[in-house]
Amino acid sequence: MAITAKIGDVFTLQKEVDKYRPIFYAGASGDFNPIHIDAEFGKMVGLGGAILQGLCTMAFVMQTVSEWSHDPYKVKKLKVRFAKPVLPEDTITITGRVASIDNNTAHCELIAKKQTGDEVINNAFAEVDLG
Amino acid sequence: MAVDKKFIGKKYPPVEYEVCKEKVKEYATAVGDLNPLYIDEQKAQQSRYKGLIAPPMFAVVYTKDAIAQVMFDRELALNLPMLVHGEQEYEFVGVVRPGDVIETEAYVADIYEKGDKDFVVAGGISKKKSDGSIVTRGKWTFVIRR
Repeated sequence: MAITAKIGDVFTLQKEVDKYRPIFYAGASGDFNPIHIDAEFGKMVGLGGAILQGLCTMAFVMQTVSEWSHDPYKVKKLKVRFAKPVLPEDTITITGRVASIDNNTAHCELIAKKQTGDEVINNAFAEVDLG
Repeated sequence: MAVDKKFIGKKYPPVEYEVCKEKVKEYATAVGDLNPLYIDEQKAQQSRYKGLIAPPMFAVVYTKDAIAQVMFDRELALNLPMLVHGEQEYEFVGVVRPGDVIETEAYVADIYEKGDKDFVVAGGISKKKSDGSIVTRGKWTFVIRR
């Protein structure tokens, strides 16, 4: 199914990070780094608690793009920069914008912010096949 | 102490991972992306994929152990307590499905310094064992504070 897209199109998704999300994600991904599952350890190393795995936030960004594209494998490339940690009970809003289109590929710019307005992922880009 | 640039290009042994539908379901549930293509066999059967697929970002799971070799490489000797995952990039080249055996080869893509930080970029190329076709190319940028 082809996607209709034009430059400037915007799409968003909101994700709630519940208290146990880093633990679920640890089990599913195998990333059991103590900074993700041990709040005391997280505090000790100055993170303010156990933080969500960055790659889980990246999965939220991927979901945002793949829901827009209606087909996950139309997303050909995704690049993100982890700007700030996400903590349990944060609400993350991901916004994508079609920056340019060439050769039937949409180049999207993405950003993820938490409820405070702080950017948790920035300098993020996706390439989506519009064919 | 800067990370020695001589390790750029270093390759690590391939690591195999067999994708299974229960693990895919667990991953999709954990990230809260319940696309029926990942978890509902009947609906997936009726789609253009004619069966279940793994979320593209499931790459995180099948590439993990290959990349861990770079992180824990004693020669590179990365200062892990000071290391953060700065950037991540994946190119999704081929569709991955439950039942696929994926082989990932990790390598050191780049090492550089910026300010008082060291940057180590690990690369991973993942292929289907059955036909050697590439499914993903990944890049992990680790930032190490000194």
